[in-house]
Amino acid sequence: MPPLVDVLLATLPVFLAAFALLDRHLVRACSLFVLFALVVALNWWQLGFIWLALLETLLGAALTGAFLFHALGIGPARRAPPVRRSHGQDPLPLTWRRGLVHLMPVLALLGMLAAALASLPASDTSPAARWSGLVLVGLGLWVFNLKAHLLRRLLAFNITGTGIFLLLMTLVGEAGTAAGQALVITGLVVAWLGTVLGALLIRRLGALATHHESTLINDGQAS
Amino acid sequence: MIERLGLVTTQLPTATSSAMVLLAVVMPVLLGVLGGAWRPLRGWPGLALALIPLLALLWLVQQIAVHGTQAWVLELGSLTLHWRANGLTLLLLLLTQWLVLASAVYTPAYLRVAEQALGRGAVWLWPLMGLLATSLSLIWMAADLLTLYIGLELMGLTAVGLILLPGREEALAAGMRYLLLALIGSLAFLLGVALLLGSWERLDLAGLAVVVEPSPVLWVAMALLSAGLLLKAAAFPLHAWLVPVHGSAWTPVSALHAALVIKASFFIALQLWLVLAPQAAAAAWLVGGMGAAAVVWGGLLAWRADKLKDVVAWSTVSQLGYLLIGFPLLIGTSTAVASIAWAGVWLQLLAHSLAKAAMFLAVGNLMLATGESRVSGLAGASRRFPLSLLSFGIAAISLVGLPPSAGFTAKWLLLHASLAAGQWPWLVVLAVGTLLSAAYVFRVFRYSFVEDVEREDYRPVPLRMDLVALALALASLILGLTATWPLALLAIAGGTP
Repeated sequence: MPPLVDVLLATLPVFLAAFALLDRHLVRACSLFVLFALVVALNWWQLGFIWLALLETLLGAALTGAFLFHALGIGPARRAPPVRRSHGQDPLPLTWRRGLVHLMPVLALLGMLAAALASLPASDTSPAARWSGLVLVGLGLWVFNLKAHLLRRLLAFNITGTGIFLLLMTLVGEAGTAAGQALVITGLVVAWLGTVLGALLIRRLGALATHHESTLINDGQAS
Repeated sequence: MIERLGLVTTQLPTATSSAMVLLAVVMPVLLGVLGGAWRPLRGWPGLALALIPLLALLWLVQQIAVHGTQAWVLELGSLTLHWRANGLTLLLLLLTQWLVLASAVYTPAYLRVAEQALGRGAVWLWPLMGLLATSLSLIWMAADLLTLYIGLELMGLTAVGLILLPGREEALAAGMRYLLLALIGSLAFLLGVALLLGSWERLDLAGLAVVVEPSPVLWVAMALLSAGLLLKAAAFPLHAWLVPVHGSAWTPVSALHAALVIKASFFIALQLWLVLAPQAAAAAWLVGGMGAAAVVWGGLLAWRADKLKDVVAWSTVSQLGYLLIGFPLLIGTSTAVASIAWAGVWLQLLAHSLAKAAMFLAVGNLMLATGESRVSGLAGASRRFPLSLLSFGIAAISLVGLPPSAGFTAKWLLLHASLAAGQWPWLVVLAVGTLLSAAYVFRVFRYSFVEDVEREDYRPVPLRMDLVALALALASLILGLTATWPLALLAIAGGTP
């Protein structure tokens, strides 16, 4: 395997994650997230974890994606009226100052992690994957703190989780592979269930908010 | 300390005890599914069936008291899972079964009175409750980090689901916040586990206790694990999510959540510290300081709270502080101090769980009967609802820590341990905490003894709901009178009784 492919596979998730987290348009952000999950599945495949690649495709990309779009009101079932779509306009505008202030604790955590990782033996097969895992953790946490939109925070949580899974599997040696895979599979299922709950909640909260608005307008007209 | 946690044992389990453990772990889920299918309008069929795991556990207690700790090693391909049952685990299992049973008996009547239009929520209640009991049992018995992770995640998601059931907007908003925090907490936990697995290639606690050595990796891993768990346990600066969650959930769910769910995270955190960093005294003082702040801050806000449920929820934050004070008393101290603190911490956990569940149910009854959610709405309650107020009072005796309750014994032991260790700051905290809890409890009483109200629209709750609250409150009192029994169980260490 030429190193170019390695580097590409390790950097592509980071770029896709960054675009998914910072794109103002939520539908595009969710599509980018699905693409991100597929690239991560390729990463698993390349690292030799076929089962994780399959699960990532099924749970991470297909099912998580389906529920993310459901939260946006896009789906095969169009029974309910589509929820008012806010295109990721967060209540607080993103300024350099806010971004930097929220970056500080994340950098502190990453510094701590890097210090801990430095004392561990370097991964001989997948150093690039370890670094991309670390960057994904930082990126996800930063956006999780920064953005108030619930769907964006779900995306950020999923990306942080993926970063941790990548980090975990590059840390374990031969003896711990089975335990590591069990942890990651549990983590994937939990992340998916959490996303499902979150997506259903966002949908419900959005419906309640539109309901409130319409009753307010009706009251206004009546009086 | 790992002997006390039952992690060092050569005792192989018998086939009967394995069957009994399986019964106690799996039965709640099965009962939950049955309950979801039939949606019982009365509590007693569930009560009869749920007595089976309780009896199985009592048999196991007998077994452990005679033969000592038992351990299970489950081989799944190249994976090995470790479970164990010792005195502490069995006490916690019994507590779980007892509290879930009490809320299961309470719930049908509560739903009939409180929710006129039963939504789809009630279908999910029973399976989720069963799943909660099973995941808690897994957490108490787990002796490896993989089982702990699975149990923790299962418990977290089930708890979120239970909180969401009322379906009202404030419940959904509180649930969403709780979900996001719980998910971030589990990621921190997983990252910590990943570092441990990466450095030492194993996940069983007994093995880790032998091989870990102080290093930057260990400190970072412990920081991540503790941060995740303390967030889920609503420890002091990370407690902001707790009050809205308890305020908007159904009363029996709030009771289970305060009594068991946050205790499970505390249990895992303390266990991991005792196993992985038994000498980290400075860091333990930091956690103890957080506990002290929690006692004072939670007590003050409980005293100032306007709503009844908020009083109880802030009191949970405060009481959890006492448990956190156990960290500096158990970690890096002499064996004599640690053995007193060990008994004190677990007795405090048991006493608080029983008293807090009783208090939530009693407060729920008062709120339903008066139709008021504020403390000042209780005026006139003393004459009309003496039974609910009696349960509240008995639970309060244990929370404040007056003799002869279990809360008193527990605080006495903690006091004794801090004196023996020469850690006098905790004495001050215990004293201030007692005064504050007396203040918020008596504030509730003051309002309920106001007599000059002309109100007719009271709705007395069914007697069964009052009796369940009373039974839990009495249990916390009786636990104090018979404290020698749990203390003897807690003292069983290692393979020999």
